[in-house]
Amino acid sequence: MSALELYSPTDLNDALRFMEHGDRSVAVIASGTDLLPRMRKRQVAPSVLLDISSLTEDLRYIRRSDGTVRLGALTTVADLLESPMFDDRLSMVREAASLFGAPQVRNVATVGGNVCSASSSEDLIPVFLALEAEAKLVSAQGARSVPLKDFIVGKRETALRPSEILTEVSFIVPRGHNWTAYEKLGRRNMLIIAMVNEALCLILEDDLRTIRSARLALNRVSGKIPALAARTNAFLQGKKVSDGTIAEAQKVLASELSLTSDFRGSGAYRTELALTYLKRLMERCCLKAGGTS
Amino acid sequence: MTKRTITLNVNGTERPVQVDSPDRLIDVLRDQLSLKSVKEGCSTGDCGICAILVDGKLVNCCLMLAAQCDGRRVTTLEGLLEDPTMKRMQGSFVANNAAQCGFCTPAMLMASWDLARHSPEPSSEEIKIAISGILCRCTGYYQIIDSVHEGCKGKGR
Repeated sequence: MSALELYSPTDLNDALRFMEHGDRSVAVIASGTDLLPRMRKRQVAPSVLLDISSLTEDLRYIRRSDGTVRLGALTTVADLLESPMFDDRLSMVREAASLFGAPQVRNVATVGGNVCSASSSEDLIPVFLALEAEAKLVSAQGARSVPLKDFIVGKRETALRPSEILTEVSFIVPRGHNWTAYEKLGRRNMLIIAMVNEALCLILEDDLRTIRSARLALNRVSGKIPALAARTNAFLQGKKVSDGTIAEAQKVLASELSLTSDFRGSGAYRTELALTYLKRLMERCCLKAGGTS
Repeated sequence: MTKRTITLNVNGTERPVQVDSPDRLIDVLRDQLSLKSVKEGCSTGDCGICAILVDGKLVNCCLMLAAQCDGRRVTTLEGLLEDPTMKRMQGSFVANNAAQCGFCTPAMLMASWDLARHSPEPSSEEIKIAISGILCRCTGYYQIIDSVHEGCKGKGR
């Protein structure tokens, strides 16, 4: 790492004022578990780091009010694991957190950092996509909210403007008969970047058989960024849960997946995994619902 | 580039050190403060061999900038040599042949000590999770798991 300055703001407003300089080579750093290895590999070369890690008073919180869960950008993955918020219906948040990196990484890696990294390696993004989460982007000029699916615009590209900082990820807790589940597979159990990670939020009608809404999200659908499986989700809406429906949904998912091969695994293997996980996620959600599967 | 002076509380002692912005905590600990229990392996957060405690939390110090640690509490194995739990853990590692090449041992001890603080009688599953972020290059995990059981309880399983 060559010439590099580190700026430590006193509070969020100070950080936002600093971002107003519009210097494109400013990188925001929290714990640095993603940024620092990339800097060492010279994949990114910022000239200034804005260190927001001390702004925990402003940015580290897990709150729920009026049916909305709000996660401050500096909320750590360990915070998610320890929170009682993700016990029951939102259990996939805890599942994803428990499979994230390893304890040393979970202790410091942040929600905001994971979302801003915006690649298929990020464990939390499919979870937040399935929850239809929004990202709150703040600059000295004001704040705006962007749906997460629009926030991620390309591999490691986000809708963040140069003067903005992501301060919060929030989502409305699904109402009614809803359950969530998460699956991940990498080449080993821990400390691994997933070949496939997949999250499902399933909402059933009162009969506990008819699908009101299915939100399946994967770390890759086509290309190398996480996304909702839009066609599969549209197919499942209104269908009755059955083995036949799941088999049909697997076909739809297979048709919308376009997964490439790399050193982590082949595209064909990833596709098999994704289809198997769809079935498993549906069955797990239905099992929780006490309905049929 | 201008050096800045930061103060690290290292193993209970305030240590002012001069750092450049890109300096990693691991380099400051090893090169400036001669804390050689802190090992460098992959430098990318994949092997956990550099695990230490910062403000009481187990972290990989190859992934931290020293400048971000100004005023924070850093604990390495050197700071725990007189700690009764650590002494017991070390004895248990020796008795169970948990160190083969020994490269991961300081990190394993730090993770085990951290676990013992929070969970005096951990299950094998808890132990596996606690050490899951540290790669033993010799793959001698079972001896390590046995050692942690024994080190936590202060007696055999």
